[in-house]
Amino acid sequence: MTREQKRNLVKGLLFTAPWILGLSIFTMIPALMSLYYSFCDYSVLNPPVFIGAKNFTSLSTDAVFWKSLNNTLIYAVVALPLGTVMGIALALLLNQQIIARPLFRTIFFLPSLVPLVALAILWQWIFNGEFGVLNHALSWFGIDGPNWLTDTTWAKPALVITGLWGVGNSVVIYLAGLQDVPRDFYEAARVDGANWWQQTRHITIPMISPVIYFNVIMGTIGVLQIFAVPYVMTGGGPARATLFYTMYLFDQAFRYLNMGYACAMAWVLFVIVAGLTLFAHRMSKGHVYYGGA
Amino acid sequence: MAARESLEVDAGTLTTQRILGRVATYAALLFFSVLFLFPLVWMLTTSLKSIGEINTSQPVWFPSPPQWENYKIVTAKLNFWRYALNTVMLCVLTVTGTVLSCSLAAYGFSRIKWPGRDKLFIITLGTMMIPFPVLMVPLYALFKEFGWVGTFKPLWVPAFFASAYNIFLLRQFFMTIPQDLTDAAVVDGCSEFRIFWQMIIPLARSALMVVGLFCFMAVWNDFLGPLIYLSNENDFTLALGLQAFQSQHGGTDTNLLMAAGSVMVLPVIVLFFFTQKSFIEGISLTGLKL
Amino acid sequence: MNSIASPSLKRAGWWFLAFAALILFAVMLQRGMRGGRVATHTPDGRVIVEYWEKWAGIEAENMRVIVNDFNASQNRIFVNYLSVGNIEQKFLLAASGGNPPDVIGLYDQNTLNFTEKGALLPLDKLMARDGLTPADYLPRILNLGIHRGITWGLPSVPACLALHYNKRLFREAGLDPEKPPATLKELDEYAEKLTKRDASGKLTQLGFSPSDPGWWNPLYPTWFGGKIWDGVNKPTPDTPENIAAFEWAASYSRKYGVKDLQAFRSAMVQFDTGQNSFISERVAMQLQGVFMFTFIEKYKPDMDYGVAPFPAADASLTSVTLVQADLLGIPRGAANVEEGWKFIRYVQQQPVMEKLCQLQKRFSPLAKTSEQFYTNHSNPDIRIFRSLAESPTGSEWPRTPMINEYVDEMENGYSHIFMLDETAAEAMALVRRRMTPRFEERERKWEAIKDERMRNWEEIAPR
Repeated sequence: MTREQKRNLVKGLLFTAPWILGLSIFTMIPALMSLYYSFCDYSVLNPPVFIGAKNFTSLSTDAVFWKSLNNTLIYAVVALPLGTVMGIALALLLNQQIIARPLFRTIFFLPSLVPLVALAILWQWIFNGEFGVLNHALSWFGIDGPNWLTDTTWAKPALVITGLWGVGNSVVIYLAGLQDVPRDFYEAARVDGANWWQQTRHITIPMISPVIYFNVIMGTIGVLQIFAVPYVMTGGGPARATLFYTMYLFDQAFRYLNMGYACAMAWVLFVIVAGLTLFAHRMSKGHVYYGGA
Repeated sequence: MAARESLEVDAGTLTTQRILGRVATYAALLFFSVLFLFPLVWMLTTSLKSIGEINTSQPVWFPSPPQWENYKIVTAKLNFWRYALNTVMLCVLTVTGTVLSCSLAAYGFSRIKWPGRDKLFIITLGTMMIPFPVLMVPLYALFKEFGWVGTFKPLWVPAFFASAYNIFLLRQFFMTIPQDLTDAAVVDGCSEFRIFWQMIIPLARSALMVVGLFCFMAVWNDFLGPLIYLSNENDFTLALGLQAFQSQHGGTDTNLLMAAGSVMVLPVIVLFFFTQKSFIEGISLTGLKL
Repeated sequence: MNSIASPSLKRAGWWFLAFAALILFAVMLQRGMRGGRVATHTPDGRVIVEYWEKWAGIEAENMRVIVNDFNASQNRIFVNYLSVGNIEQKFLLAASGGNPPDVIGLYDQNTLNFTEKGALLPLDKLMARDGLTPADYLPRILNLGIHRGITWGLPSVPACLALHYNKRLFREAGLDPEKPPATLKELDEYAEKLTKRDASGKLTQLGFSPSDPGWWNPLYPTWFGGKIWDGVNKPTPDTPENIAAFEWAASYSRKYGVKDLQAFRSAMVQFDTGQNSFISERVAMQLQGVFMFTFIEKYKPDMDYGVAPFPAADASLTSVTLVQADLLGIPRGAANVEEGWKFIRYVQQQPVMEKLCQLQKRFSPLAKTSEQFYTNHSNPDIRIFRSLAESPTGSEWPRTPMINEYVDEMENGYSHIFMLDETAAEAMALVRRRMTPRFEERERKWEAIKDERMRNWEEIAPR
């Protein structure tokens, strides 16, 4: 190690010191304990008893586990691309020279501010098969809407829609990224006669690719752990059509008191998410442009 | 401001294509605005309804007369000022802690090259992939060991030790800042901390504001943390106070619940509306931008 | 705009802002550091008893009245009352961390996870010491706090189910409003007469739907003389009686169509908001608990309706009901067991219990009830519920620690039956195949620790 490298190591460690502490105390200790529990029969209220890989072998034959995994993957495959496209589209829309821009930005961000309980009641009412506004609106086009949340086919799409409503979070991140795109790039492009689409395609998207990368990776991690909204809105029903992975994990941990089993589920999910994230990372190689390091 | 707009306009004459583009833009904006606004409007109108107006099969759009006393009831029941103070306190501490610690860590992960950095970063990302429910029991035991259960500490102290999501977010932004910008400073003999504090932080202000905002909202709406760690009614937060409006066998007063929800949302809307400019457009106005 | 302010003025402004922020931060930090060990005594020397209760909203307020009464009735103990949402989760973590409250209020079915795992204390010896005997209670209600022969919780308020029917709609349909259906067959016939469709064939009014409100779906066998478990350690979801019960439920889907019934069910946005299909007079007959009165009183006080025992399939079965109870227990590791018990004991006195049950609009779980209780009670039908709870026929949620898993699986099976994807026999056979090994495993675990546990309970039981 050269002196330069040593100095950099010290500097790097100093800058990340708070996180290294936090990582080890508040994350690694609980995580390693949960890894240990995954090999135990652990009911939370009684001390864990080591049982080897039994939790993992039971998982493979647990039909509900497979169902919840299946539900989650289907949801992810639909919700993630939709969310990404919509997030970027709205951000681009808002980044144009328009009147009342602050107002529009606030509007798109509003849903992210609503507390979960209120949000759930709100959407249950909107999706209501009889009196819901959504079906009322559909009826204008002569469509007889389904009973969204109580129909096994439509419950998942309903949750996807609810999720899209909260896209404002990623819009804000995209907007912050868009602001970092140097203006002279556009001016140069305009001089060359590039139209809006060409500018977007060849300047904007590459320039905010680190932010898109961030949102896709975080989206993958987040969407596979979807929990709060369906837990409050559907409770996993009807007939487990919206029972997602983390919900079943929660049931096992806190309602069935099989914490060991839940920990095994957690680590299986960890492997799946890590695999998919790695895949997303590989896909992005060569497409993410970093101006800096 | 004026200079920038003229720049936009002279870029092209008002062709039909341009006008059509404008119309499409505004149409799309309006369409999405209605979609995004509607639920919130409904929340607000519901908060002003009487019980009779809620208990109908046909939705009532405009409560008449508006039941302003719903808000009086709610603020009294929520112990509003007390809970708001607790919530704001947690927000201030958490946001400060998160922004400080995460920007430091993100700098270490993006602008200094050191052995082991990328491995540590991968571990950092990995910690987000473990579902939270299984960490709750060991975490509770840990806080119990520290003697923190029943205090506010479990809710804000960890924020001073950074969090993976925000580190990742800031790292991505820090990485877009051209390296030659800081290289010059290094040549001039600036210390690493000065580069961080005087160059990177101002340049990444919008990203820092985003982190602060997300962090603020997460704390503002967090129900689970306060539920688990607080056991004194005087220490409750607004989100925890919301539960007082839900009763299993006594009838949930949806109007009051929605009023409480509105009371919680309104300050944040106002805050967002007035500060968004500074964090979304902030950079280009400071003139530091290229 | 910024150009108006001179640079020095601007700098001063920034310094001021930074200073203000620092002050704010310091004040908040000071506040955030506060706390620590919660006080064990009030300033005037009373022992503080921590009491966590699952009730929220108006129900929580009703209990607060009793707590205040207790605090005023003596000067040695102060009950600190906390209404907690998601109480199971909070309690579980607190119990695992050795930091539980002194008294906890749970639903009867939720205590089962905690008893076998040793998170609650046996109350039998305290009861015997202070002269509380099983004879003081309605047997079926007291039983809801007993598991493995040990009393873990004493009732605060009980509940049971009955048929609620809309007299106005009965009259409209040409039925005698004073003659509710006496058998299930009659219920089906009345339901037909009470069902209306509009010109397009869309349902506008429904006589009855088993899935509305649909909170006790797995327990319909109760009215067919069936049991969904053997009372000890085996699930019995697919006995002939049970299958008959679920087939009966499915007959409604066949008659009225799954989608139409779902629309009716989803019309009920959130039950407890009062947008209940019975109260909005869209469904004429509903299986509901004694707590339904609270909603009717609140949302439609002038509603013309009646209450009767929910009819059974077999005429030989009468006064069949499902009983439930809210229980008070003492967690293991509680700091003030004796003082916590004093409070529970206080609630068990007849006048106090009657006051609480009157506030919560329930019947009393105690064997003796004063005449005043009924005359002062706001629910005119309260005697019907009380006599149903006194009747020995019926059921309750299965009293096994497997309850949550089992009920989830039963609900799932029921959904498939209701949606006509599977026959009752198929769905329930699947439930049995899935659940039997889990029950067996749980039983094996229990057998392994049983003797030690029982001895331990004998030792730790406060006396």
